[in-house]
Amino acid sequence: MVTRAAWLIVLIAAAAFAHAQSRPAFTVQPGGVVAATLPPSVLQDPGVRKQLGSGLTTTFLVVARQREAGILSGARLEIRYDLWDEVWLVRKIEFDRREERQRITSREALEKWWRAPLRLLATGRERVSLQIDLNVLPFSAAEEEDARQWISKSGGVGTGGAGNAGFVEALIGTTISARPITTFKWNVALSLKEP
Amino acid sequence: MTGTRSTILVLLTIAAATLAFWAVLHQISSLWLDVALRPEVREALARSMEDQKKLRALDPEKREEYRRRFDATHKLLNRIEVIRMNRAAMLRRFELTLLVAFALVAILAAVSLSIRYRRARERERRQYLERVTTLQETARRHAHEIKGPLTAARLEAERIADADIRQSVTEELDRLARFTREFSTFGGLGKPVLRRESLGEMIDEFCTTFAQAWPGLDVIPSVAREPGGVSRQASASQPRPHRSLAHARDDIVCVDRDLFRQVLVNLCTNSAHANATRVTLAIARDALEVSDDGSGVPDSLRGRIFDPYVTTGKGMGLGLAISRKVMLEHGGDLRLVESSPAGTTFRITFGELTCS
Repeated sequence: MVTRAAWLIVLIAAAAFAHAQSRPAFTVQPGGVVAATLPPSVLQDPGVRKQLGSGLTTTFLVVARQREAGILSGARLEIRYDLWDEVWLVRKIEFDRREERQRITSREALEKWWRAPLRLLATGRERVSLQIDLNVLPFSAAEEEDARQWISKSGGVGTGGAGNAGFVEALIGTTISARPITTFKWNVALSLKEP
Repeated sequence: MTGTRSTILVLLTIAAATLAFWAVLHQISSLWLDVALRPEVREALARSMEDQKKLRALDPEKREEYRRRFDATHKLLNRIEVIRMNRAAMLRRFELTLLVAFALVAILAAVSLSIRYRRARERERRQYLERVTTLQETARRHAHEIKGPLTAARLEAERIADADIRQSVTEELDRLARFTREFSTFGGLGKPVLRRESLGEMIDEFCTTFAQAWPGLDVIPSVAREPGGVSRQASASQPRPHRSLAHARDDIVCVDRDLFRQVLVNLCTNSAHANATRVTLAIARDALEVSDDGSGVPDSLRGRIFDPYVTTGKGMGLGLAISRKVMLEHGGDLRLVESSPAGTTFRITFGELTCS
């Protein structure tokens, strides 16, 4: 009987741990700034793992929506694996446009960087209900634009024929876009009142 | 009816052409995109990048050159990868755009053809009416010119002493009088005064009134043409067969009752001349089909049977010209649908004119 109870406790603890691992943790910083620590499970997602090794810039777009105020805020993380030097080139842009770039040499260091709090929004409220969307985009806007230019030139757009060029550019321009390869959604209610 | 069928046919043709175009387009566009995105191409580029990395270790002096080549290849691979990820959306957009363009061109072509067809029909209608009107005027004048001398000739003929000669001359004068009457009728044909009438009721009435008009010829109303061209006919054994039409349908048309009756009389007279034993009047939506089991229109006359004075030898050859003119002035038409030694079918259509 005791053994069964022990197993049950272990199972519940494991489930709770797994649940905690798959959700972001939130901290409140001075000035009513809400920061999120993204769960490591995102980086371990098979689709994300595959994309991270592609050499393209995997973009993590975090959108925080304050339900009460209807305010949108967010941050962006970009990770590109440099196939030549075999290092991770990362970039973090937070809600206040504070930008940080790093060159990371190992997967462990990358996961450590990933766990650093990401500043999402600032609010004057004591309680906020947030809906957090994390969209994983397979490539960056610059890579998208580069591919668009390239295929436009391949289609003869750059060589003349203004009418057709405009048409093809419009056609391609509205078609090539970074659609999320996966999306994570979380809802959270936070109390920002300092103890 | 004919217009609706033509429209449906045109729409079906456009749809079929668009589908065929899409199928071909799908194959072609998939092909060119797939050629560019073949896995072998990407694998070759990836191998090339690996080779550049190995070369930098083997030949450190040219490290920068290998790096440049590596970056160029990597950029190319990235572009292909981005396009590969958007393959489905690109194909969809490309095909949809061309499909819409094709459909628009097809619709414009169909509309243009339809307008041209309608204009040609209208021109032909106008020219026919002008020609027949001119002939009407000529016929009216001839009839007027002949009537006076004919009356005088009749009076003179009565003075002929020899009874045989008198009879012979009188018979010829009677024949001339009949022709003159026909000329006069043709010349004096008035414009239709349109009223809302039930087609079924008119046909019922016609079949009742003219049941015995042509010896050996049954004039039978028919409810509707069924698939396969078989009309459901009211058989002679039924007590009041013709009544079924008025109750079966409520086909209101704008028509001059007297002139329309004249058209039916002319068609039935022609059927009688063609030794028909039965004429069927079948309502099919807003048209009336008049079919007989006579000997048919000779091939040599088929293209010009509506021209005045074209005749098989029986009559003046004015009946069909008069009938078509009447229907054209109704805004409709009278057309020969088919003719063979087994019988002839005419279709009478009614226009969209408003009634007075």
